[in-house]
Amino acid sequence: MPAEAAVSSKPKSRSRALNWRRRLTQIAFTAILGQWSFYGIFRCPFIIPYMSCQNCPVITCHGRLLGMFWGFWLLLPLSVLVFGRAFCGWACPGGLVTQLWSGLAPLKLRIRNLFMRIVPHFKYLGLAMVLCIWLLWGQYREIVPIRVGEFFSSVALTFEHANPIWLVRTFFVLGSAALSLLLANAWCRFACPTGGLLEALRPFSVLKVYKNNKCDDCDTCLKICEMGTRPSELNCTNCCDCLSVCPQEAITIGNPRRKA
Amino acid sequence: MNKKKNCDPSLLNRRAFLATAAGAATGTAIPGALPASSKQFSQSTLQVWSCGGLAEAFIPANQKYKAKTGIEIAYTGAFASALGKSLLGGAKTEVFAGRVLGLAQKLRDAGKMIHFKPLCFTKYVLVTPKGNPAAIADIKDIANPGVRVILAPDASPPGGDAVAALMRKAGVYDQAMKNATVKGSCVQRTMEDLVKGKGDVSIVEYRLTRMPLFKDKTEIIPIPEDLFPPAPLPFTIGVMKSAGDKQLADDYIDFILSQEGQGFFESAGFIPAISDEGLRLSQKLEVQDAG
Repeated sequence: MPAEAAVSSKPKSRSRALNWRRRLTQIAFTAILGQWSFYGIFRCPFIIPYMSCQNCPVITCHGRLLGMFWGFWLLLPLSVLVFGRAFCGWACPGGLVTQLWSGLAPLKLRIRNLFMRIVPHFKYLGLAMVLCIWLLWGQYREIVPIRVGEFFSSVALTFEHANPIWLVRTFFVLGSAALSLLLANAWCRFACPTGGLLEALRPFSVLKVYKNNKCDDCDTCLKICEMGTRPSELNCTNCCDCLSVCPQEAITIGNPRRKA
Repeated sequence: MNKKKNCDPSLLNRRAFLATAAGAATGTAIPGALPASSKQFSQSTLQVWSCGGLAEAFIPANQKYKAKTGIEIAYTGAFASALGKSLLGGAKTEVFAGRVLGLAQKLRDAGKMIHFKPLCFTKYVLVTPKGNPAAIADIKDIANPGVRVILAPDASPPGGDAVAALMRKAGVYDQAMKNATVKGSCVQRTMEDLVKGKGDVSIVEYRLTRMPLFKDKTEIIPIPEDLFPPAPLPFTIGVMKSAGDKQLADDYIDFILSQEGQGFFESAGFIPAISDEGLRLSQKLEVQDAG
C-alpha cells in the first residue's frame, strides 16, 4: 500500500473501530435496558412511560421487577452532567434501533440550513407536553394492564384494551421511530422528550466532543454524523464518530472550559 | 405425580397451607428438580389466563406445576372483565380463572367454557398506617370528623365500585367521601399513599396487604362480611372449549384446587375454595357450575 493511502486510511479505521466499540456498548445497554424500554412503549399502562414504575401493576416489567426505575433516574442526570447526551449515543436501546434503521434512510439531512436549525427544537415541545401530562394532568392508566403474559399475546391484548389516547401516543412514537427509515434518526433528532431533557442539560456537561480554533467549517464531521450535527452543537451526543475524521484535526474530546 | 385430590376440608388449616406454600417456594427455587409426572399429555404447554389480581398466586403455583409435570404454563394475568370480553370475542385460551361468577356463567352460556369450579374468594379490610395513628377500630370510624380517608373511586372495576357499595351499606359513604384526602384511580397507589402516611385509613382487598411491596407495612382491621358486595368476592377456574388437551387442563385445575395449589392462594391473601371458609362461601354465594 502506498504511504499516502496508508496515512489517509488510518483515521477511517480508527473511526470505524470507535464506531464498533459504541455499537457493542449500545448492545450491552440494550441487554440491560431493552426489556424495560420495550415494555415502556408496548405495555406500559401510562401515557408517559418510565415515570410511574413504582406503582405499576405490570409485574414482569424490569423497570419494577429489578428496581431499575430508581437507579435510572438517579444515574441519568449524573451521566448528563459528566458525559452530556452520551446516553443517547451510547446507551439508549431506542437510539440503537433508530440509528440502525437510519442506515437505510434515503434522507440523511446532514446539512446546515434554517430548517435544520429549527426542527430539532421540536423535541422541547415533546418534553413540555410530557411534563404537562405527568405533573399537571396526572398519570392515569390508559390501558388494561396485562400484569403477566406471553410476549405477543400481551402486546395484542394491550392494544385491544387501550384507550384512544394511549393508542395515539403509541402510534406517534412508533410512527416517529419508523420515520427514521426515511429521515435519518428522526425520532432522536426531532421528537424524543428524553433527548430534549438531556439536550437542555447538555451545555452544563464536563466532557464534550468539541471543535477547536483550527476548524475551517469544512463540515466533514457533519457528513458522517448520525445525528446530522457537528461537535458540541445542538443534538451532539458525544458519540465520538467524528473524532478521527477532521482533516484539520480540529475535533477533540475533553473539558473545553479547562482548555480555555 | 400425585393425582390424589385433597378436598377434605378437615385436612386444611392455616398451618398446613403455610407449610405447603413454604415447601412449594423451596421446590420452585430448585430449578434442577426433575418433573415427577407419570402422565403423558398430548402437549407440553398449557395456556392459562386469569384475573390479574390472582397473578401473585398463579406465578409460583405455575412454577410448582411445571416442576412436578414438566408442563410449561403460558400464563397471562390481567383485568378479568377485559380478558373475558376478548374470550367472548375471538381470543382463545385453554384455562380461564376469572373474577365474578357471572363472567364464568356467560362464558359457559356462550359455549366458550366447558365447566368451571370455585377457585378462591377475596375479602375487604380496613388498612391504616403502622401504629394506626387515628385509632381506627371499626368501619364507622372512617366517617369521624378529621379522619383522612384514602380511596380509589375511579379504579377499574370492581375496585372503586365495590368499596363504594360497601361504604353505602355501612352508612358511611357520604361522610367518608367528604373525609377523602386522596381520590385515586388505582388501588395499588392507594396502598402506597397509605404506607407513606398520606391518610389515616383506606378500604382495600386483603390480598393487597400481602403483596411484597406492602406486606407488614400496615395495620389490618377486619370488616364484617355482611357489608361486602357479593359480586366481586368469588373467583372461578374453568376449562375452555379451545383447550387442546382437556385431560391436561383438568389435571392443571386439579393441582390448583389441591391443598398444595391452594396454599399459594392463601399465601397471596385469598380464601381458598377448598377451605372450610371457602366451602361456606361457595354455598352462600352459590358458586357452582349450573351446567
